[in-house]
Amino acid sequence: MIDNNNRPRRGRSELLLKVLFRPRVVFEDLAKSEPSPYRVFFKYLIWFALLPPLFAYVGGSRYGWDLGAEHPLMLSEAELRVVSVFYYFVLLGGFVLTAFASQWMSATYGARDSLGVHMAMVAILAAPIAFGSVIHLYPHVFTNLLVLIPVLCWAMYLLYVGLPISLGISPERGMLMASSLVGWLLVGFVTLLGVTVALWVNGFGPSIGI
Amino acid sequence: MAGNSGSNGEMYYHDSVVRFLVMCSLVWIVLGMSAGAYVAAELIWPGIDFGQPWLSFGRLRPLHTNSVIFGFGVSALMATAFYSVQRTCHIPLATPRLAWATAILWQVGILTGGLSLLAGINAGKEYAELEWPFDIVITIVWICFGVVFFATIAHRRIKQIYVSNWFYGGLIIVVAMVHVVNSLAMPATLFKSYSIYAGAQDAIVQWWYGHNAVGFLLTGGFLGMLYYFLPKQADRPIWSYKLSVVAFWAFTYSYIWAGPHHLHYNAIPDWVQNLGMVMSLILLAPSWATMINGIMTVSGAWKKLRTDPALKFIVLSLAFYGLATFEGPMMAIKSVNVVSHFTDWTIGHVHSGALGWNAMIVFGTYYFLAPRLVGAELYSVRLANVHFWLALAGTMLYILAMWGAGVSQGLLWLSLDHLGEPSFSFKDIMASMPPYYLLRLIGGLTFLTGAVLMIFNLYMTMRGRETLRVRPPEVGSVREST
Repeated sequence: MIDNNNRPRRGRSELLLKVLFRPRVVFEDLAKSEPSPYRVFFKYLIWFALLPPLFAYVGGSRYGWDLGAEHPLMLSEAELRVVSVFYYFVLLGGFVLTAFASQWMSATYGARDSLGVHMAMVAILAAPIAFGSVIHLYPHVFTNLLVLIPVLCWAMYLLYVGLPISLGISPERGMLMASSLVGWLLVGFVTLLGVTVALWVNGFGPSIGI
Repeated sequence: MAGNSGSNGEMYYHDSVVRFLVMCSLVWIVLGMSAGAYVAAELIWPGIDFGQPWLSFGRLRPLHTNSVIFGFGVSALMATAFYSVQRTCHIPLATPRLAWATAILWQVGILTGGLSLLAGINAGKEYAELEWPFDIVITIVWICFGVVFFATIAHRRIKQIYVSNWFYGGLIIVVAMVHVVNSLAMPATLFKSYSIYAGAQDAIVQWWYGHNAVGFLLTGGFLGMLYYFLPKQADRPIWSYKLSVVAFWAFTYSYIWAGPHHLHYNAIPDWVQNLGMVMSLILLAPSWATMINGIMTVSGAWKKLRTDPALKFIVLSLAFYGLATFEGPMMAIKSVNVVSHFTDWTIGHVHSGALGWNAMIVFGTYYFLAPRLVGAELYSVRLANVHFWLALAGTMLYILAMWGAGVSQGLLWLSLDHLGEPSFSFKDIMASMPPYYLLRLIGGLTFLTGAVLMIFNLYMTMRGRETLRVRPPEVGSVREST
């Protein structure tokens, strides 16, 4: 589980197994603990954020991104490196901002407001996404979509089930807060999409005729 | 003022017409969404039009959009406007016969209009495909709608005009204005006319209409629904009434300018495009003010979620409203639009609004309204909960499929080879799309299945029950509030 100074340390892969098979226990453990935000950040978040760009870099450099057309989209090594680093910081920033957004919302819904708990909750939700991103090793856009949709559904299920447990609020209030966070995440995702496209148009990334 | 008088001369609200419109809208949602699913399937298996012109994409697609927007959407708006204006004015509808005429004529107009689309009669303007005779019928019915609504407000028994009525009123006035101006045409035959505008001017007028139909019908009208039914369901007042009124005027002022963002990089003046872009960005402020108002209103009503499945739909509709009203301005930015325009990203955006916001808020409203119309409990809360998850899953699948398809398309057809020629042909790009379209079809069918469950649930709730006769509050029994 997410670290608690009074508990034995457990690994990142154990967290994933528990998230997969006994998610309620993970959240019940979190409900009883008061993790440090720094510890969660350094032990989990920076590593979880590393996996998707790493997989994307390896997949992209070996095979190129297949968008369904005749040839895959090949980027130069240098460009891929920059895109991957950008991807890493966007993910990490997204995790941290989501934790802050969740902490900010906690006042409205009467939830626990220590940043560490919110960071830990984000780390639990991020675990399946980080490990599911292994599909980036096979950079075919539609296959990635097919694999990541159930992964995202699982993360969403975890959010709705786990939020009220770990933040100590009723399931009804949890449902409202989780929906607000889903709204936040959807807007965050679409912002990322918009920023990425605007970068392409301004000459960064794949060369397009504009 | 004509009232719905009982034998002892007491006045009752006119809710039979509301019930009729609710039922009509349920028929339209099945017809409209089935047509949508069919055209989605045609994009995967083009042969399923079986060589029949009336089954072709070009005829079924406008049937889909007209059925869901004008059949389902407007019927739901008329139903909820008639229901709420009586209760916020504390009087029955001022002109009940005209209300019935409006409700029936609207259905006849959309039904015959839909058949004309199947027959291939099409004015060639998106969301304004119906030919001139139908345009005239729509105008007349719309004026009747306005007369019923504003006459009821004119006879109101409380001084304040509640904010939902401002939005419904905005819907009636602006849609009348944009419909009439955009539909001005010279008839050539009974079913053929030519727009009085030409070239770029025609395009500008068309998208001034198109965007404000989205703005004042699919956004403003449904905000009217939100502002009445959300506080009712939450059983508490709007979080900030002042904010709702400020948001109304800011929304009304800024929406009307945003249409040119549909014509970026087209043959219209650059400054018009830039103005459309800037006003679209400004529009985010009033849109989100309403979202925050809604979320804060519902956040204090969490206990109701235990017993009320309807509230879940409203909560979710607010999340998708937030997404759609953010994504829209973002896609209006020219450097994003150059990639997103003419791709399925636009279709995904439209459906995050149409499924996630418009349909969800109607579902939530109907789960609240139908039992109250007949004075009964909802037939099955469990079915409503199943519907909730089907609606969420269907919407998400739809949007994700279209994001994937849209961004791929945008990137592929702007890609150039080393000679500066397009790297991929349009045909090749489209040939790679069926997997996304299949995913979209699954999403749409999931959503439709949920809607059918709701119709069964509402049918069982209302079956064999008379519409309840509800009296307005006695004069002086309430203060100036709703």
